[in-house]
Amino acid sequence: MIRLSPQLRAGIQRSTLPALILLSAGIVLIGKTDQTMFERFRTGLSDVAAPVLDIAARPLGAIEAALDRARGLIGIYQENRRLEQDNARLLQWQQVALKLTAENRQLQGLLKVVPDRAVSYVTARVIANSGGAYVRTVMVNAGTEGGLARGQAAITGDGLVGRLTEVGSRAARVLLITDLNSRIPVKIEGSHTSAVLAGDNSERPRLLYVGTPETLKIGDRILTSGEGGVFPPDLPVGVVSAVGGSGPRVEPYVELSQLSYVMVVDYGLSGSLPQPIQPMPRPGKRAKVASNEETQAPPRGTR
Amino acid sequence: MALRDFTEPALPRTNSSAARLVPVLATIIAAVLSILPLRIPGYAALTPALALMAVYHWTIYRPDLLPAIALFAIGLGEDLLAGGLVGIGALTLLVTRAVVLQTRRHFVGRSFPFVWAGFTLVAGGAMIGLWALHCLLELSFINPRNTVFRMVLTIAVFPAASFLLGRIQRALIDGPRLVRNR
Repeated sequence: MIRLSPQLRAGIQRSTLPALILLSAGIVLIGKTDQTMFERFRTGLSDVAAPVLDIAARPLGAIEAALDRARGLIGIYQENRRLEQDNARLLQWQQVALKLTAENRQLQGLLKVVPDRAVSYVTARVIANSGGAYVRTVMVNAGTEGGLARGQAAITGDGLVGRLTEVGSRAARVLLITDLNSRIPVKIEGSHTSAVLAGDNSERPRLLYVGTPETLKIGDRILTSGEGGVFPPDLPVGVVSAVGGSGPRVEPYVELSQLSYVMVVDYGLSGSLPQPIQPMPRPGKRAKVASNEETQAPPRGTR
Repeated sequence: MALRDFTEPALPRTNSSAARLVPVLATIIAAVLSILPLRIPGYAALTPALALMAVYHWTIYRPDLLPAIALFAIGLGEDLLAGGLVGIGALTLLVTRAVVLQTRRHFVGRSFPFVWAGFTLVAGGAMIGLWALHCLLELSFINPRNTVFRMVLTIAVFPAASFLLGRIQRALIDGPRLVRNR
């Protein structure tokens, strides 16, 4: 250890705190002006921390499962009644769906419709959330090693969750549709009016630039439009929960505060990447291309 | 009793290097806990600022064991992992330390309600400051509802955190004698 004179040491000790405060303030400003500046650090640290967070989140999962079971036992009778009713109703729907599928296939055959691209899914566990009032993101325990790439959509069985904004080798960050910086091209089901779903950190994102706002009603279903080529079309997003006043708002189908697993959709688009020439590129390779050329999905804070 | 306390070495176990790491470790754990995905509706937005509590506690009782550089690193790490604006967490923790350092002589040895009232001011100031800073940086008016709820939750959780941290401090760092003296 280097011997310092007491005066010098006291001087250093006194100035450390102000210096670090200034440094932090500087980092905030730099990070704000250049969004991509810290991205490498982010993904690097996420990759390192992912296994730790993964392990740390496991006991929480176990506790939640136990609580769920206890809660389930209390309401088991009502739950059973409800499920029986649901089942009866769903069986009717199944008949309808089967009939429509058959009819749809027939009509598509008649019209020679080009089939949709095959979609593949990667399921990942949520290992961290953003913990704070100003960001709405979650971290998942899969990255380029699992074939994830920036710009892909994250969904659950209920609907759209968000979009991958940063992808490391073992962890990735999902920008939720409620985040202040989230902008998703959507359409209103039925009318095919397009709009933009804009998060504002509240639970219900706003609906901007609605083509024909007068036709919008509470209860209208909102789907992704697929415009811009970032998302596959027709993923369910939510229902219109408010119109007029301070503008229309959408209630997401997914309970975003209770995510445990998400599915990442690989629609073969990965942002607006030019299609790779090789028919089956290795996941790692494609991710590299994604980080270099992906420009359609801007990082956080581009407004 | 009091006389003997004065004549004996005041901090019997602090020289153990492992024990000296406890405040830093406790703050790291608090920071990690606040980003773990607890699936409670609305919790992510309202997560109490656990690291802030740790910083407040240790800066009052053992500021020597939680240096500014550690706060800088923890804050920066939390920012990077949580996906927020980089540097803002570090800034919060460091400013909290600066404020508490200036005023800690009023808190050392005082009763808990007094310490809690101090935390209310510090946490309230930090949350409102954060909200104002985010509004400024995003150039938009962010609904303060979540900030207010998070502030209330943070202040409400503080007694439990303080009790736990006090126990840890007694058991691992200071030993029971000094605490009785407090």
